[in-house]
Amino acid sequence: MGKSAGQLVMLIVINGLLLVLGALISGGSFLSSYNLQSMASQVPEIGLLAIGVMLAMCAGQGGIDLSGIALANLSGVVSAVIMSTFVSASTDPSAFSIAFIAGAVLIGLLGGIINGALIAYLKITPILCTLGTQMAFMGLAVVVSGGKAVTVGSPALLSSIGNDMVLQVPIAFVIFAFAAALVAALLRFTPYGLWLMLMGTNPKAALYAGFPKNGVLVATYAISGLLSGVAGIIIAARNVNVKFDYGSSYLLIAILIAVMAGVKPEGGYGRVLSVVLSAIALQLMSSLLNFGGLSNFVRDFAWGLLLLTFLAVGRYRIAGFLPSIKRQTNPSAPSPQGPK
Amino acid sequence: MKSLSKKLLIGVAAAAVSLAAPAATVVAQDKPVIATVVKISGIPWFDRMSTGVAAFALANPDIDASQSGPATADSAQQLQIVNDLVAKGVDALAVVPMDPAVLEGTLQRAIERGIIVVTHEADNQTNTNADVEAFNNADYGTALNERLAQCMGGEGKWTTFVGSLGSRTHMQWVGSGEENAKKYPGMALVDPNNESFDDANGTYEKAKEILRKYPDIKGFQTSAGNDVLGVGRAIDEAGLSGKVCLVGTGLPNPSADLLDSGAITAIGFWDPQKAGMAMNVIAKLLLEKKELTDGMDLGVEGYDHVSVTKGPGAGVLVVGNGMVLADKSNYKQYLF
Repeated sequence: MGKSAGQLVMLIVINGLLLVLGALISGGSFLSSYNLQSMASQVPEIGLLAIGVMLAMCAGQGGIDLSGIALANLSGVVSAVIMSTFVSASTDPSAFSIAFIAGAVLIGLLGGIINGALIAYLKITPILCTLGTQMAFMGLAVVVSGGKAVTVGSPALLSSIGNDMVLQVPIAFVIFAFAAALVAALLRFTPYGLWLMLMGTNPKAALYAGFPKNGVLVATYAISGLLSGVAGIIIAARNVNVKFDYGSSYLLIAILIAVMAGVKPEGGYGRVLSVVLSAIALQLMSSLLNFGGLSNFVRDFAWGLLLLTFLAVGRYRIAGFLPSIKRQTNPSAPSPQGPK
Repeated sequence: MKSLSKKLLIGVAAAAVSLAAPAATVVAQDKPVIATVVKISGIPWFDRMSTGVAAFALANPDIDASQSGPATADSAQQLQIVNDLVAKGVDALAVVPMDPAVLEGTLQRAIERGIIVVTHEADNQTNTNADVEAFNNADYGTALNERLAQCMGGEGKWTTFVGSLGSRTHMQWVGSGEENAKKYPGMALVDPNNESFDDANGTYEKAKEILRKYPDIKGFQTSAGNDVLGVGRAIDEAGLSGKVCLVGTGLPNPSADLLDSGAITAIGFWDPQKAGMAMNVIAKLLLEKKELTDGMDLGVEGYDHVSVTKGPGAGVLVVGNGMVLADKSNYKQYLF
């Protein structure tokens, strides 16, 4: 508990620090509502993918999902191509939007189930399996779209997902927060969450305890795929067009976010709230550097620095300071304690 | 633990402040801001463009002009930069889109926010106030072919290379080249439209095949940036430098050796430095609420008599005459 609380406090402090720094540099315009909204609507794409990576990592045994962004693009491309042949976006915008959303979610879910089934039943190592499916998903998207961008357009409902606000909060961010809360609740309150974490901690013990191992694996990758599908919808809603090679840099950034959030790459531990905060921290930092007009190479450097800092914190705890943490943090009880 | 976590926090804070400190001086000013965003930072083409933006900034001290771009070639990364600049509230954006389609949504929001948007290399962009192209594609193809015909003496077999059959501009270039070659009855086109995929090695192999198949071939017209390197190497190794003509799109620095040896007859390109200046000049004109008129002089070399037509969206398409054909004698003026 000490570790997770420490990580969370650290993330909150860093987020606060970045906001203050941004305000100082920009003379306040960094905290203008337009920029806060702009940043909030940029986070969901990558945040959803990072939660997927987190779930796969929690499953242990080298669990990881490299196919996230490829599946998000595939969902958008295939759904747009199929739905536009049945429904016209211009004459019946809301029907098209609903059909597009349903299609993208379904394709994301299907892709995730394929990943899970390959890993659970054919026992393919996750990193190899998802690398393979990543290429397959991307290739399929190229074939379906002919390598060109597919126009989704701005039909009423989709366009409001991409551009409108609810109580000053971008709808895309509300969807992201809702999805994150749902996954967090799933991990906290259902047997699935317990199975996942225990299986990640000790697969052998989980096997002897009679956990539905294959079911848990398939469900994990299916949820990850589902989140990719939702990311695909948000990408389409914001950018008007979808393309097979969008966000090729997201693959590594999603993993970076998960690791920075203290998700254990060897499995058994991960917290959705931390992943959300970690995604926000990366967004704040990159927007901050863009505000300052600094080179994007500096951003890579700063991200690396942030990651190393977090790894150092983790390493230092493992090195045997746990007792002292308990002594010191328990009485002062850091205030925000999320689920798990 | 507390003291250590404090130390770490201080460390992170110090690092962040030291990174951000130089930025503080950049932001706080009231001059109109024109932000140029390129496809990718740190490659020769866009380094050359940044010299143009710097020259514009120097000539216009009343305007804050700067260039930025993503560190990786990913349209999503470029999109983020544009998003942040829109949020920051720059006055004008000069964008060279990695993928025009991906930027449409954001550029639309930018225009709605009252930001002037100027694009380059994106004549299909709908959400832009003005798109600047260095030259008319048909004129460029004709000019390349005319140079080739001149070298070939107006007769002999010749062939063409394109990046891919799906590349619209490349097909326009070779298409108008073929039209031009009809003026010379002695010129015979063989095996046209070879796909190079902008890969110098693949092009080299293919050019060797063609040289074997047609030992009497006299000319090559190529399109993608690396094609001249591949074909040039094949000509050079066959000992045909100066005997077989090669004219195509290429950059001066990488082509220098082959131009000197005579394997490449001439290269055609447009100067990104001038394109960067032209974009900023147009952004400035639009900020001053001035009209862009057909035939106007932007005060930039190659853009002294631009054609202004209606673009695919609400904006205009500005086409210059900024093509450069360089050969052994003059490529050294354009080292980039």
